[in-house]
Amino acid sequence: MSLENPEQQGSESVGAIPGALGTAADVDITGMAERGQEVPHGHAFLVPIDCERVRVDTQHPKGEVLLGKVHKRPCSFELIAEFVHCENRVIEPDETVDLRQRGLKSFITAHKEIVTIFIGGPEHPYHIERGERTVAQILAKVDKTPEGYVLLEEKDGPPLPLPPNIPVKISGCEMFYTQPQSGGSS
Amino acid sequence: MPYPKQQTDELKGYCKRVSLLPEGGIEYLHLEELRLPAGCMPATCDALLCPVAKDGYPSRLYFSVQVSGQFARNWNGAVRIGEKNWYAFSWKVDLASPTLAQLLVAHLNGFAKEK
Repeated sequence: MSLENPEQQGSESVGAIPGALGTAADVDITGMAERGQEVPHGHAFLVPIDCERVRVDTQHPKGEVLLGKVHKRPCSFELIAEFVHCENRVIEPDETVDLRQRGLKSFITAHKEIVTIFIGGPEHPYHIERGERTVAQILAKVDKTPEGYVLLEEKDGPPLPLPPNIPVKISGCEMFYTQPQSGGSS
Repeated sequence: MPYPKQQTDELKGYCKRVSLLPEGGIEYLHLEELRLPAGCMPATCDALLCPVAKDGYPSRLYFSVQVSGQFARNWNGAVRIGEKNWYAFSWKVDLASPTLAQLLVAHLNGFAKEK
């Protein structure tokens, strides 16, 4: 008897328009700060982030929204605002940015060194250093050990057990679960 | 169908296709291209989940090939079901009333646990 497996489809909308000019009504902030021009009012703005120019539908987006426009998340990347006459500034995910503020030139993103992982669901974030970590180090975040618990990682599918003797590559945003050790060689 | 649909649906995330394979009074769950834990060779293979007692175990997971993983396993089960050969290693899962997915993961953990 078949129990058909429906295809999974991603439905996340994207805002990046690499190299696009947008519509005539869009305000393109590229180069305005360098030319000393004031960014005019508008309903939508074309904003340089890294090597892309993305369309933003508000003058006051949050940092997380801008990161999302280039398909990045605050659990692994930070957003940095670049200004013409002052130092770069890190924009927090929930911080609101004024795209018309004087001197704002563009944004860049950078991979965080201390990233966020999730253990037990998206509502349970934990900070950890990026790179290769042991299963024991990850389980220790939730006061558990490999002797008593299995660490499972949700990656391209449902959670699967991770062998405790193989390092786990942490880039940020990984989703883990734990399960009590429940089996043994008989 | 003897198994709750919600539970069989949950299994679909672990493999390409789930179907029932009835034989000898047991409804096996045939899992095509089941994803195996990191470090396993091959990375996927077909499997049969037997959620009821068989061969002295409360449940069993049979594989279409003898999978090599991080730890040596005692492959003590070789059976012919549905006109194909299947292999199982000695692994006893002692979960009380697990869902099918929990049972599957507990068996897969046999590749990720030393003893």
